Amino acid sequence: MSQQKVIISVRNLTVEFRVPRGILRAVDGLDLDVYEGEVLGLVGESGCGKSVFAHALLKLVDINGYIKSGKVIFDGTKDVYSLGKKELREYRWKDVALIFQGAFNSLNPVMKVFDHMVDTVLAHEKNVSSEEIKKRSIELLKMVRLDPETVLGRYPHELSGGMKQRTVSAMALLLRPKVLILDEPTSALDVLTQKFFIRILKDLRKEFGLTMIFITHDLATVAEIADRVAIMYGGTIVEIGNVEDIFYRSRHPYTRALLNAIPSIVGDISKLKPLPGPLPDPVNPPPGCGFHPRCPYAIQICREVRPELERIDAVSFVACHRWRELKFD
Amino acid sequence: MRWVIRRLITAAITIFASITIVFFLIRVMPGNPIDVMVAQLIMQGLDPEEAYRRVLAIVPFVPTDPLWKQYIDYMRGVLSGDLGRSILYAAPVTQILIYGIPWTVFLISISLIISFSLGIVLGMYIAYKRGGILDRFFSVFSSVTRAIPPYVIAVLVIIILGVQLKLFWDPYRGPIIGPYDPRLKPGFTLEFISSVFYYATLPILSYVLTTFGIWVLQMKSSTVSVLGEYYIMAAEARGLPERRIVISYVGRNAILPLFTSLAIAIGHIFSGSVFIETVFSYPGIGRYISASIGGRDYMVISGCFLIITIAVVLSNLIADLLYSKLDPRIRFR
Repeated sequence: MSQQKVIISVRNLTVEFRVPRGILRAVDGLDLDVYEGEVLGLVGESGCGKSVFAHALLKLVDINGYIKSGKVIFDGTKDVYSLGKKELREYRWKDVALIFQGAFNSLNPVMKVFDHMVDTVLAHEKNVSSEEIKKRSIELLKMVRLDPETVLGRYPHELSGGMKQRTVSAMALLLRPKVLILDEPTSALDVLTQKFFIRILKDLRKEFGLTMIFITHDLATVAEIADRVAIMYGGTIVEIGNVEDIFYRSRHPYTRALLNAIPSIVGDISKLKPLPGPLPDPVNPPPGCGFHPRCPYAIQICREVRPELERIDAVSFVACHRWRELKFD
Repeated sequence: MRWVIRRLITAAITIFASITIVFFLIRVMPGNPIDVMVAQLIMQGLDPEEAYRRVLAIVPFVPTDPLWKQYIDYMRGVLSGDLGRSILYAAPVTQILIYGIPWTVFLISISLIISFSLGIVLGMYIAYKRGGILDRFFSVFSSVTRAIPPYVIAVLVIIILGVQLKLFWDPYRGPIIGPYDPRLKPGFTLEFISSVFYYATLPILSYVLTTFGIWVLQMKSSTVSVLGEYYIMAAEARGLPERRIVISYVGRNAILPLFTSLAIAIGHIFSGSVFIETVFSYPGIGRYISASIGGRDYMVISGCFLIITIAVVLSNLIADLLYSKLDPRIRFR
């Protein structure tokens, strides 16, 4: 895993929203490098800013939101936030594609699936014939194990949730993007469909050599597919590492707490240690380390100074004042 | 197909029921046409008995028959296409309707198209720029135009554009009202047709002014809710051109809920023309409605209401059929 090329580099990204109560900071000074060809799992509780971050990678923000500061560099040279309108359009989907959390709702209800495919291709490539688009779509739909002939002629509401999910995945690959972001792709699926979908993703990765950013709150799914895991809390990354390191040698108290909150299918449910307290209020975030109000190890410095994301080894980082001294278990 | 047939049967029943209700309703209104006409003749100097005899000679029904017999006679007439005779105009009702319908359809359909299109475009624009000056302006504007009665707006339009600015002013006849310049001979001449449009301008303007604010607000709220949908952001994420997103993704979906209102508005094409046509002395159905109610002209009232009912029922039927074409989600329900 060492000496890999960075495909997406995020520096000091801050995304804010205007809400009635004031300014809501959903992503707060986030730094992250994604390496070419890896599957990066991005894990965090609901409301920690995962989706907002995913959208911001494509410079998509809700109407009352805005990107306050930061940079997203694609492939070493492309500064996403200073692209012109046309270049931004080309960057979207062709370089980086995104499967939305609401994959179920990400199809236009009055358009057939095939028309979505046509729209997507024609937005990026001129002079592609309808037959060519059809050929490509059929190939991809087969890859996600859908029956292309029936799916292409259908309206979104005529497909089941899992079928829509896979349709959207096929659409994401139409332009052979380098990076695929999946925002909670499995959370709305039942467990069997989840497994099935993960298997498809693994195949796709092998087939295309895709870089994937897999966003979820489900650590078990991450363990199954990711090479590296980034843990997000309060709008920023608190720990990154190889998947084994995160699961067996995690250094951040929050990561520990997350792992302790996973129920085991054979274990005793009373041994679970749910994390006390709510997420920090993103309108009035606590000073210092965002996790300190819930952290059992918090000391004075945690309440005053925000910890930097420190490098531990080639691929591991942690943002905690006390990571050197803390010993868990 | 079975669904269409069922809808057609429902439509027929609705029309029948409405004819019946109108028939009885106008006969329980206080006053009756015979008294009105007798009174008129008396005012002209006839003695009461003579006046009464004369009136009885021209009314097309026998007022002494029991109501149910009158009703059966009337229904028999309707089914054979005879809607009776007007008392005030001394002409068959069908002839009056055939004369009035084209004027109203001409006037109101143009108004409705302008009003609806204006509302769609402005509503979408405001939805994109929500919170801006235009947005705030139109919230106030449409409440105001809704609150002011249409005839007041019509009179204001005549006063400002006709009387004050003299834009619609005839030096011999005053402000421009009516269907066309009476000095012209009706026919397919450029002069006549341009006169028709010139005379229709103020009524159309009044209608548009009173109605388009509501379309703006409806389209705005519909667009805002569509803009919050995932498929819009998903379309942006796919790098689609903005024009494509605005028209086929936002517009196409935002306009759907407005079709119901549009169908209702089309259905009310005749009933909605009453005030405007009365103010502008426009010879459409609307003016016949107000005149015939005033003169207790039973047959004309019934005829006009029959036209209104048919328009409402038909437009709803067409809307239902069209809606299932426009929104694929409705199709198999």
